[in-house]
Amino acid sequence: MAKYLYIVKTQIIKSLTYEFNVYGNILMQTIIMITSAYFWKALYRNQSVVGGVDEQSMLTYIIISSALSVLMFTNVERRIEQSVVKGTVATDMMKPVSLFGVYFAEDIGSIIALLFQNMLPILLIGGLLIKIPGMADIHDLPLFILSVILSFLINWLIAALFGMLAFTAVNIDALIQVKKHLLRLLSGSIIPIWFFPEGVANVLKALPFVYIYQLPLSIYIGRGDRAEQIAQMQIQFLWLIVLFALFFAIHHRVTRKVMVQGG
Amino acid sequence: MIKAFRELGHYLDVTLQVIKMAVMTIIEYPANIAGWMISNPLQFIMGFAIIKFVVESFGEVGGWNYGQLAFLYGLSVISHALSMIFFVQGWFMGYYVIEGEFDRYLTRPLGVLYQFFFTNINIFGITDLIPGILVFVYGCVKCAVHVTPLFVLQVIVTLIGATLIRGGIYIFLGSTSFHTRSATDFGQYTQEIMDKTTMYPISMYPESLQFILTYLIPIGWVSFYPVSSMLGIENNIYNGMLLPFVTLLVGIVMMCLAGGYFTLGLAKYESAGN
Repeated sequence: MAKYLYIVKTQIIKSLTYEFNVYGNILMQTIIMITSAYFWKALYRNQSVVGGVDEQSMLTYIIISSALSVLMFTNVERRIEQSVVKGTVATDMMKPVSLFGVYFAEDIGSIIALLFQNMLPILLIGGLLIKIPGMADIHDLPLFILSVILSFLINWLIAALFGMLAFTAVNIDALIQVKKHLLRLLSGSIIPIWFFPEGVANVLKALPFVYIYQLPLSIYIGRGDRAEQIAQMQIQFLWLIVLFALFFAIHHRVTRKVMVQGG
Repeated sequence: MIKAFRELGHYLDVTLQVIKMAVMTIIEYPANIAGWMISNPLQFIMGFAIIKFVVESFGEVGGWNYGQLAFLYGLSVISHALSMIFFVQGWFMGYYVIEGEFDRYLTRPLGVLYQFFFTNINIFGITDLIPGILVFVYGCVKCAVHVTPLFVLQVIVTLIGATLIRGGIYIFLGSTSFHTRSATDFGQYTQEIMDKTTMYPISMYPESLQFILTYLIPIGWVSFYPVSSMLGIENNIYNGMLLPFVTLLVGIVMMCLAGGYFTLGLAKYESAGN
């Protein structure tokens, strides 16, 4: 455990090195958040409640979604791709630590740095310029935190599973893009799926993506009653188990036979 | 004069060779080709589906109906695709600065900016083009556009101008790496901001934002102004059939400014020490 904590620590220090990245990221994310806020304000101009959600809740949704996106940072897929392309995966595998344990620890380290560099400023700026993103019902807080933890794990496992494709396909830039778009559009991070037609929404509810963003956000803005939320969290938990099983099954296979380019 | 033509011929020769090489490189990774073939069309088909869903839930968006939004979206995706083919490298300029990759370009007897963009030409951008054209044609049908020579000219001029504006913005953002010495890739963010500002009418945003998008960062000219001129939708800033030509002008100015900023940055370039 201490080994991994050390990796987390070095990764935090690494992330803190580039100052410009931090300001650049905050600026860009602020612009995106503000344009989204105006976008929803413009849409709600002639309507008060659409899909069971009013304008104020939607603005909270946008701010918290921007903040959550910080937690959904993953570098594991690029990391695997790079180490396969450069051949460092061979030496990585010889080290007395688990390969994916290292990648997980690195991502955790980056996220801890990002919490202060990115999430806090975004919440502050959002609170000042758009509205204070208060929670609908404070008693939902434990439920919200639990579902965020599950979301984070689901998101990381999906990224790791995509990353494993690099062991056979080597160059997976395009596949990473596929995943990014799928996640962006199907997770409800930009547009909640309750605005989609019912058939499409039902299909999406069966996929793991909505449980990454939309479920915790719905709990935060208090959409739907508690029973409904808990039912959805059960599906979320089920997906986590399925992805875990997949992860272990595939992990075992791909790491037995590694093809390395260069190195 | 003859010398200039010979030089242009030389550049064209090199470009052809470079495109051949680019095709060869992408064949190396078959999984990657399949990936791009799915990823890019998927992104825009989903993006368009979302516009449809939004219109169904909320009615008109900023006074634009569904057909007009399809037209706007299609045209915007086409210019996006063209900018992806020619200028996407601007997103990754930071890596080239950090890794000292400009050394190679500086030692060759061709323009540095030319080499940077064309030796890395992104053939995959074509996969963006197809969904763009499909949605655009669909939008034309929905809006019952009369295809006149003027209309065709307006579309072509808009596309050239819009591609140059997008390319100029990428070069600007990329060139900041010369000063900051960091390899940040703002591509993802730029894309997201561009999506929101070119695929929906900017008249839905407050006036301060419209002002910025018209004069400071000329994204409004990429699609909003030319399309409102082509479809005859009134907005309260600029109207008239000449707007697509203004887009071209803005594009050329943008490109010149970006080229100047790049050259300025290149003077500060000092390679990667080892």
